[in-house]
Parts: sequence; C-alpha cells; structure tokens
Amino acid sequence: MNEELAGNRHSHTALLLRQYARDLAQIAPSSDLDARIDALVAAGRQNSPASHGPVRRPRRLLPFAAAAGIAALAIIFGILIGMRLEQSRELAAANSGQTHEPAWPTADLTMWPSDSVSFKIPAEYSAQGTLVAVDPNTRNTSTRYWIDVVVSNDGTFRIQKIVPADPKQKQGAPDGIAPHIQ
Amino acid sequence: MARLAAGDAHAVHELYQRHGRALLRFSSAMCRSRQAAEDMVHDTFVALMRERISFDPAQGSVYGYLCGVLRHRVSRHFRQQRRWVALDADDDTSPVHAADSSGPADEISRSEITAAFRRAMLELPLQHREVIALCDLEELPYVTVAGILDCPVGTVRSRLHRARALLTIRLASLELIDLQVEPSMVQRGLT
Repeated sequence: MNEELAGNRHSHTALLLRQYARDLAQIAPSSDLDARIDALVAAGRQNSPASHGPVRRPRRLLPFAAAAGIAALAIIFGILIGMRLEQSRELAAANSGQTHEPAWPTADLTMWPSDSVSFKIPAEYSAQGTLVAVDPNTRNTSTRYWIDVVVSNDGTFRIQKIVPADPKQKQGAPDGIAPHIQ
Repeated sequence: MARLAAGDAHAVHELYQRHGRALLRFSSAMCRSRQAAEDMVHDTFVALMRERISFDPAQGSVYGYLCGVLRHRVSRHFRQQRRWVALDADDDTSPVHAADSSGPADEISRSEITAAFRRAMLELPLQHREVIALCDLEELPYVTVAGILDCPVGTVRSRLHRARALLTIRLASLELIDLQVEPSMVQRGLT
C-alpha cells in the first residue's frame, strides 16, 4: 500500500482494500482460459504472418463513411428542395403580379356615371307574352306597367324597376315620358 | 514483445505465463463476473496477435502495456453492456475462493464482507474503479498508472483521491466502516 494511502485514508477502507487485494491475489486462470490461450497460440502458429498478408484494419471507418454519405445526400436534397421552393416562389410572384391588377377602377369612379336621365315608359303585355311600350293615351287592353329606364350620357341604359301602373295616378305622366334629371 | 511483433505466436504463450495471472487479477477487479474477466484477458491476447503492436520499452513495462490493452477491452465491454444489460445481471460478487486458516464462522463473515466490498467497488465509475485497481490493489507507481491510463500523473492523483473518497462513502453506506471517525475526508471527496 502507498504511504499516502495509509496516512490519508480511513483505516478501515485501507484494511478492506488490503483484504480484497489478498483475495484477488489468489485468483488463478482457469483451465478453460489456459485452453483458450493454447488454442489461440496454436492457431497463430498455423496461420503465420506471411499467410495473413497485411494486417487488416478494423472497420472503424465504415460508420463514418456511411454518416458522411448520408450527410452529403441530405445536403443535396436540401439544395434541390431549396431550388424548387425558390422557383415556385418566383412563379407565384409572377402570377400574383398579373392578377393583382385591378379589374375595375378603384378610385372615385363609380359603376354608373352621375349624369343620366330617367324615363317612365308605359308598357303592356303583348300577345307574345312580352312587355311592349304603348301609347299612354290609349285605353288599357291588359294590365299596364310603368318601366323606369335610366339612360346615361355615355350611351348605356338600364331598367331600374317595373311596377304596375295605378290608373288613379296616371296624370303624373300625361305624355307617357316624364324625364327626371338625376 | 519484439518476437510477437515479428509473428512468433509462442511469444504470446510466454507473455500469458508471465503476466496472465496479474492481468486476470486486474480484470477481476474491473468486471462483474469471473467469466467476463477471463474473456477480457483472452481478448487481450487475441488483440496482441491480430492487431499492430505499438509497444515502446522507453514508455513503460510490458505489463503496463498489456494492462493498457486490457483496459481498452474492459472499457469497450462496459460500453457495449451498458446498452442492454441490467446492472445486477451477470453479477458474481464472490470470484475469489478465500483460503484463510480461520474458523468457519469467521470465514463466512469474511466472505460476506469481501462480497460487500466487491459490490461497492463495482458500483464505482469505471475510471475510479480502474485507478483504485491499479494503484491500491496492484500497487503500481503513479507514473506507470499514468502511462496505462494515458493521462498525466496529477490526473491519476486527483482521480485516485476522489475514487477513494467515493469508495469510503459507499462502504459507509453499506455499514462496513464508520465515517464518524474521519468526516473531513468525505467532505473533501464531495467537493
């Protein structure tokens, strides 16, 4: 035992260590181990170094090579995916550039021009089942309707509403055409 | 070793005759079972025959070199075992057949203490176990142990100090020793 051991350590620990060392000292190789070593030596004699050839390197490089290959594949796939994403992003940007142009003016322009004229046109159903304009002074042959038509100064017109005509309020439109400036 | 490097297989047998017993002693202090200890010694000699020998007499003795090879085998063995074997498996805490000339009662008590001590040793971390085995059990000089462990002598000293403290704590927990006698050592070991 070292002097440091005896002077510095717990005496019981030192005692147990000495006892354990004595027990270990009694260990002898088993006959099985002797036989295995003998077999190893015999095999070594049969296979001389000349027949062995160069000492085979342990295959420790294999895991590293595999890991390096996987890493290289991962990098290549990453580059390809990145390129694909970049291309799709450019395409999306190009498409969005086309579709983002406003189809209608977004400023203070409205659907209908402000200068327009509205008319009230009397109409009745014809024998063909269509509404046709009639002379307001003639007698009703069927149910009469008022068609409100708005004509704009850009040439467009639209039918605003069609309402059944009330014979009692007919004097509001003596000639059948009552222009109203909007 | 020169003959072995030249391919003389009989040199292996001579090395085994000369150092096999000591190697088995070290291996038994490190491994949990007698079978594993013998396997490690066998693997050491297999490695000597199959791998390139880099022994340099200027750097240490043949026994130190063989201990270094054996230590690598033991470390690799425990790395592999740690993955799938429970700690208590394959546990053989009485590898030594004691032959003291005491009475039967003393013999039983002594073997129990030895088994408990061995259990405490095996519960130490590997690097602490090996430094105790080499310094305290094999009583090798610090320089030789530093060569085997491939570390500076100062590292051997500090590691040994901590290993002894850990062993003392473990022995106290097993009630094999009484820590009240020298509590300062435990405090040093824990810091």
